Amino acid sequence: MDTIVCLKQVVDPELPQWDFAIDPATKRQVRMGKPLVISTYDENALELALQLKEKTGGKVTALTLGPQGEVKDAVRLALAMGADEAVVIDDPQSPQRLAADKASVLAAAIKRIGRFDLVLTGCESADWVERAMAPFLAEALGAACVTFISRAESRDGALSVRRTSEEGFQTVDVRLPAVLSVTSDEAIRPRLPKVKDIMAAMRKPVANWTRADLGAEDAGGAKGVEVKDVSIPERTTKVEFLEGEPAEQAEALVARLRALKIL
Amino acid sequence: MVQGLARDFATREILPRAAHLDHTGEFPKDLIQKAADLGLMGMTVPEQYGGAGMDPVSYVIAQEEFARASAGVQAIITVNNSLVCDPIVAFGSESQKRRYLPGLSSGKDLGCYCLTEPSSGSDAMSLRTSARLDGDAWVLNGTKTFVTNGVEATICIVYARSAPDPGAKGISAFIVEKQFPGIRVGKVEKKLGIKCSSTAEIILDSCRAPKENLLGEPGMGGRIALATLDGGRLGIAAQAVGIARAALEDSAAFARERRQFGQTIGEFQAIQWALADMATRIDAARLLMYRAAYLRRQGRPYTKEASMAKLFASEAAMWASHKAVQIHGGYGYIQDYAPERYFRDAKITEIYEGTSEIQRVVISRHVLGAR
Amino acid sequence: MPGILIVASALEGSMGRSSVELTGAARNLAGPLSLPMSAALVGQGRGIGQAVETLQQYGVQTVYRCEHPALTPGQSDAVLAALDLVVTKAQPELVLISADTVGREVAPRLAYRLRAALATEVMSLAVDGRAVMARRQVYGGRAIATLEVTARPAVISVKPRAFDVPQPQPVRGTVEEISLTIDPEALPTRVREAQSERAEVGLDDAQVVVGGGRGVGGPEGFKLLEELAAALGGAVGSSRPPADEGWVPITWQIGQTGKSIRPNLYVAVGISGAAQHVAGVSGSRTIVAINKDPEAPIFSLAHYGIVGDFRQVVPALVAKIKAAKGA
Repeated sequence: MDTIVCLKQVVDPELPQWDFAIDPATKRQVRMGKPLVISTYDENALELALQLKEKTGGKVTALTLGPQGEVKDAVRLALAMGADEAVVIDDPQSPQRLAADKASVLAAAIKRIGRFDLVLTGCESADWVERAMAPFLAEALGAACVTFISRAESRDGALSVRRTSEEGFQTVDVRLPAVLSVTSDEAIRPRLPKVKDIMAAMRKPVANWTRADLGAEDAGGAKGVEVKDVSIPERTTKVEFLEGEPAEQAEALVARLRALKIL
Repeated sequence: MVQGLARDFATREILPRAAHLDHTGEFPKDLIQKAADLGLMGMTVPEQYGGAGMDPVSYVIAQEEFARASAGVQAIITVNNSLVCDPIVAFGSESQKRRYLPGLSSGKDLGCYCLTEPSSGSDAMSLRTSARLDGDAWVLNGTKTFVTNGVEATICIVYARSAPDPGAKGISAFIVEKQFPGIRVGKVEKKLGIKCSSTAEIILDSCRAPKENLLGEPGMGGRIALATLDGGRLGIAAQAVGIARAALEDSAAFARERRQFGQTIGEFQAIQWALADMATRIDAARLLMYRAAYLRRQGRPYTKEASMAKLFASEAAMWASHKAVQIHGGYGYIQDYAPERYFRDAKITEIYEGTSEIQRVVISRHVLGAR
Repeated sequence: MPGILIVASALEGSMGRSSVELTGAARNLAGPLSLPMSAALVGQGRGIGQAVETLQQYGVQTVYRCEHPALTPGQSDAVLAALDLVVTKAQPELVLISADTVGREVAPRLAYRLRAALATEVMSLAVDGRAVMARRQVYGGRAIATLEVTARPAVISVKPRAFDVPQPQPVRGTVEEISLTIDPEALPTRVREAQSERAEVGLDDAQVVVGGGRGVGGPEGFKLLEELAAALGGAVGSSRPPADEGWVPITWQIGQTGKSIRPNLYVAVGISGAAQHVAGVSGSRTIVAINKDPEAPIFSLAHYGIVGDFRQVVPALVAKIKAAKGA
């Protein structure tokens, strides 16, 4: 099974709130000087791709789009975890672009990589959370699409996946080629690379492409959608701490809930 | 990227258990096995012997990350790497390397370093454990004390006097397996800090080690011990920098949140100055450590630089963890918060692998030119 | 009929609440833009007739009814095929879809096919001149983005529970039948089976929710939370770590990933208050936080805070609630 995994570098979403700021010029999170990581679910997607490769063979290619200087670590980490090859599309503007704009470039890159059975993405990026990349890519590539999957197994040339739904799970049979977006599951916690794999990753091939190489014109911004404002909401509630022993705290809370007619 | 791996391992695997390991003193066997699986127990061991083939600078960077999460866990890891694998790599025969390094790197074995004796601490070269050749075996007699990993270790580097010459001259080094007859664990110490690593007495009672388990040449033990301690001191410098960084990071987070007199305590200059001084000392310590590790990577002498790094870093850790307790106030004194652990853990860095006083002796010898 | 088209789903044999919420969302736009409201009603089964009436009760003038046995839960490819037909006929300016399991897949694909603008996971909608102003959470709920959607057509997916069920506004509408001819066997994806996990929890509609986080420590801790939820007549949910660790079913997860809830009372136990979780509970009317760390960020969101060990606090609370109810 040949798989292409799309990885996005984002500012570490675990950074504390005090370190979170919006740049008024770009209307995006301030990136300068902040640690960048592979977006949480993208790493799960990579782990799933590696597990499928271990079971069925084939090749895993890591594909990332971003300002070249920033994304190198993501690609090296993917290679250290076990990806066979990597492609970097240099795009200094990518942090400002919406999914629709990036999908066409990624789709062009995937076509240029050539043969694939599967394209995996995270179910959402930790920053912009559009949840649209996998469906866009499926349309652009004429592939099947299932989003928010947590497991996948190969079955007579097709795939059986587990999709998270409102009520629980659905088992979905998918024809290949397919584009799937991956959520989380205990079984696909991303592995830590071994030290010697990190060393070996330095010797694996990385292709460097630009948007222009892929014939994407630099329109900027998604058609007809503009980000007008990004603001950090102010929290206005003031907490009342209930003091005392557990029984006293419980008593005080029950009294307040009764006053609010919740009890 | 090695730093990334070390940090991920530290935050994902070590940190969530650091407080529990400190409170219970449990040896984290599974954690050490996981570290070994990732290549972290034989970090600088060449790849052909099952190690990760890492350079000394990456090594200290990784060690700092482990110590930032738990100084106790890092102690276990650094002893295996610096004090056991290193001398075998540097002084071992080809067959010793092939016999011992793969197991020490893979987690099958764990190493300990038996130098100190009840009556020879800082004056290590006055050690009294004896070694005499009896047919095809060395027979070792004596008691080693304060041996980190002593309880769980399966491979021990033991220093003993194999010739009557006084001082360093008569000392030889041996690789002793715990399964050899006549070696056993004595008293297990209760400690102030680094609680999840064991510290024990190792008793050698007519312990027989095969002749070929001599490390290096007879009489080379003093040299091996000192060379090993240079590397070991980098591991302890990294431990100290890690503890100090933890103290700073926790203090900064606390100062941002904690409100007194209508503002966060971080808005008080007294706290700001403490944090500034902590940050500056930690960076200075880290740079000293990097310099020594860099010299080592270049294959140049780094004894003085390793001592400076260890001296400065350990005192910075003690000072910074003391400040962290004070910044946390009452919360700094209780076990629900980590600063009291940093404070207890920091103290050992001023003591083992050469006390601060011994480091000053080493440094001053270089300053005075009296070698 | 150019206007606002909502996608009403009767895939389960009857129409659910989220489709009615869409009529409320659409009303924010229909008036100011002077656009008529229509609905693509996709599904199967006997509940469809009732669904048409409900849509008309809530102001939908034209219902494009598309029934087919393949229009079943999770069958996105069939829904997309049906919508292809409806939009060709209706030529809508705006399409509103609920961002549920099917909607998450269908909205971007439909936008791609229509060369339409796309805004996903929207929490509120307003009009500025001709532009649709859509607000949504970004950065794990740490910030709110306002998108200005000027292009037509545009597809907008709406987060379930972001809009209330509106007041009825009955109209006399028309129904147009859309006939879909697809071979279910030929679809590239096919739902083989569905499993509900602990359906009795009913997080979505619960008026009281007790949420547990990493601090609950494991599945045993959640037993205590279930007792508290039972005493309060509510449901149990979790933040991300317990779901990731497998302590609780993934369907319990509340937050940006997972469910968004707006109960009357939310009790957060052992939850530090990561932005990713806060994003899913900030609409709760009253929030109580129980945590042993007085500095936990959850307290900046809570109305009432209890600093202490939940293993002591929760049983005490269960006892007091039972006593209060008995009184």
